This record gives sequence, structure tokens and C-alpha cells, in this order.
Amino acid sequence: MRFVVLLVTILLLTGSVSAECREKACMNNESKFQEDGGKWHTFYFNDVFNIGTNWFIIFDYPSGKTNDTITFEFSSGSKKVHTYDPSKETDSISFSGSTFSEERFNLELYINITGTEGSDGEFILSIDINKPPAEDMFYLWGGMTIFWASIGAYVLYISIKFTQLRDK
Amino acid sequence: MKYEKEILGLLGFSLVLGTLYFALIGTGPAKFFTAPNAQKLFYLHVPSGLITYLAFLMVVGGSAVFLYNSSEYADKLAVSSAELGIVFGFMSLASGTFWMKAEWGGDIVSRFLTDMRLATTLAMWLLYIAYFVYRRQPDTFQVKKNAAILGLSGMLMVPLSYLSSRFLRSHHPVIIGTEDQGSLDPSLRVGLYMGLLGFLLIFIFLFKVRMQIEEMERDSLKSKMEKA
Repeated sequence: MRFVVLLVTILLLTGSVSAECREKACMNNESKFQEDGGKWHTFYFNDVFNIGTNWFIIFDYPSGKTNDTITFEFSSGSKKVHTYDPSKETDSISFSGSTFSEERFNLELYINITGTEGSDGEFILSIDINKPPAEDMFYLWGGMTIFWASIGAYVLYISIKFTQLRDK
Repeated sequence: MKYEKEILGLLGFSLVLGTLYFALIGTGPAKFFTAPNAQKLFYLHVPSGLITYLAFLMVVGGSAVFLYNSSEYADKLAVSSAELGIVFGFMSLASGTFWMKAEWGGDIVSRFLTDMRLATTLAMWLLYIAYFVYRRQPDTFQVKKNAAILGLSGMLMVPLSYLSSRFLRSHHPVIIGTEDQGSLDPSLRVGLYMGLLGFLLIFIFLFKVRMQIEEMERDSLKSKMEKA
């Protein structure tokens, strides 16, 4: 029982750790592009996408855009479409940490702004996909221990019970 | 055969050791997973989950037969299976929690509250914990009957848990009985089936021992009552 309580406590404590930052200050890259109408867009992003960690891109855009959309599409096929909020001038989107599974270099991200009359501009960013060394060994051994500890504890429990009953 | 159950247990143990060798040494880190090492839990997590369903279905069967003809054997079968279902259920839930933490990340409590496979499996397991706790009191006919009614509720909980990842909101992958099975690499199946057979044999061994203990407990109680 103590083992179960300890295990649950460890898992609960490890569950609340989050290191993702969605602020412009956390991004190491800034790119400015001019759309067809001459208005400027600025994109803030990390040029390394770490597999297993959500990847954010923050963008500043001219105010007053209504029903316009901005599409982010990696050359590998993953895509996100965002509709501009006319009351804002900054917004962000994210790609899940499981979007990629293998390392890639200079992967292109196509950004396409679409207005009511078609495309207003296309930009291309380039990022690297990094696969950090696996840090999941703790979870592997933790999970494996569960099987052996459970079967071992149960065998011990029934053997004690068996011996007690036989002695009676 | 004199040592039938011991041989079954040893064979099961050997197969599980073989599965471990296959998972940890025979194959490298899994591709296409965020946590390629923790994926190795798959080979024992899935079998323990399937054995849990089997054990709880045996509780349902035993409870139904007991309610039908008050068979002592059916009642013993239900009690023994419930206890083993709790053990294998714990193995499945706890190992799944470790794997989930590595692969999906996020907060464990909210995962259990929002993912229907996790929520229904935990609810099923807690139901049989309640069954087990209820059976701790002296075995009167009324206790056995009430427990059998509780045990029968697994008739709803087992299919609900099993099918939840197909029809309800869940991230949990579906392995058996869907198109996903077709994409499961044949080399993975070797490890999975070896683990499943190993756990099944261990389950049969433990079940036989547990039934024997149940029999001895009841005999001991009977002789005590006769003396009194």
C-alpha cells in the first residue's frame, strides 16, 4: 500500500512540470515579410523544432484584417490554418511535439496569407528538426518494475496465506 | 499431473523473460514514438490489460452462475478472479501511466478525467476493488449474493472500457480488431503474443493456487463451525 501511495505521489509531482514558453522574448529568430499590399508581417519563432516539445510561432500583422486566413504548411505536409482576429495585431499558433519523429535539416515552412480576393502573399521560413536524446528510461524502468513488483508481491501474499492455512 | 500448475507458472515466467529479452535487447528503440524506450512497455502493458478483462469477465460468469444456482464453485471462481483482476489491472493501469507520461506528457490527473479509455478502465478497476473490500466480511449467503450482483456489473464495465477508445473521446490507440492491427509490424506481434501467452500462463497458475487457498479457507471455516 505504501508503495502505491509513493508511486502515485511521484507521478503526480512529475505531472505538473511544463517548460514551454509562448513569449516573443523566448524566440531566437525574427523574420519580417511584406505582403502584396505593402503591409508588414513579423514572425517570431525558434529555428529548432525539438521533437516532443510543442513548437510555437508568434506573428504580428496589420490590424483590421477580416475573414483573412494565414496558412502554415511544412514541406512534409503538416498544416495549420489560422483566421485573423480583426481586433488583434499579434497572434500565435503551435505545432504539436509529435508532428515529426525524425531529424530534418532546413525544412521549409510555407506561409500563405489569403484574403477575400485570393492570395495576398507567400513567405518561406526554414527550420531544423532536432530529435533530443530519449529521456524516457526512467519511465521504462518504472513501468517494468510495476510488473515484477506486482507479481512478486502477490506471490508472496498467497504463499504466506497458503502456509498459514496449511499450518492450521 | 502432480506439478501441472508449477510447470505452467514456470513456462509463463520463462515466456515473460523471453518477451523482456525481445523488447529490451532484441529490438532497438522504437521509431515514430516520442518516447522510443518507454514504448517497450507495450509488450507487457497490452497483455496485462487483456488478462484484466479476462479475469473480470470470469467474475461476471461466476456471479451469474451463482445467482442462477447458488454454486459454491462459481462463487469461489468469482472471488479468485476478482483478486487476480485487481492485480493485473493495477499492472496495466500503472504501467500505462508511466508510458502515457513519457509519450503524451501533460498532467496525469486531467488525462484520467478526460480520456474515456483511462476513465472507464479506472472506474472498472475501482468497482472490483469495492467487490474485493465487500468480500472481506464473513461469507454469509446474503454477502455472496450481494457480491454476485456487484460482480455482474462488470457485464457493463468491461465492454465499456474495451470499446471506449473506439467510440468515445480517447487518445488511446486501438490495437486489436481494427485496421490498426494491419499496420502493426509482424515483428512487434511476436513480442506481443509471447507476452500475452506468458501472462496467460502465469494467470492460470495463480488462479489455480488462489482457488486452492479459497477451498482451504472455506474448509477451515466449516470445521471451525462444526467444532463450535
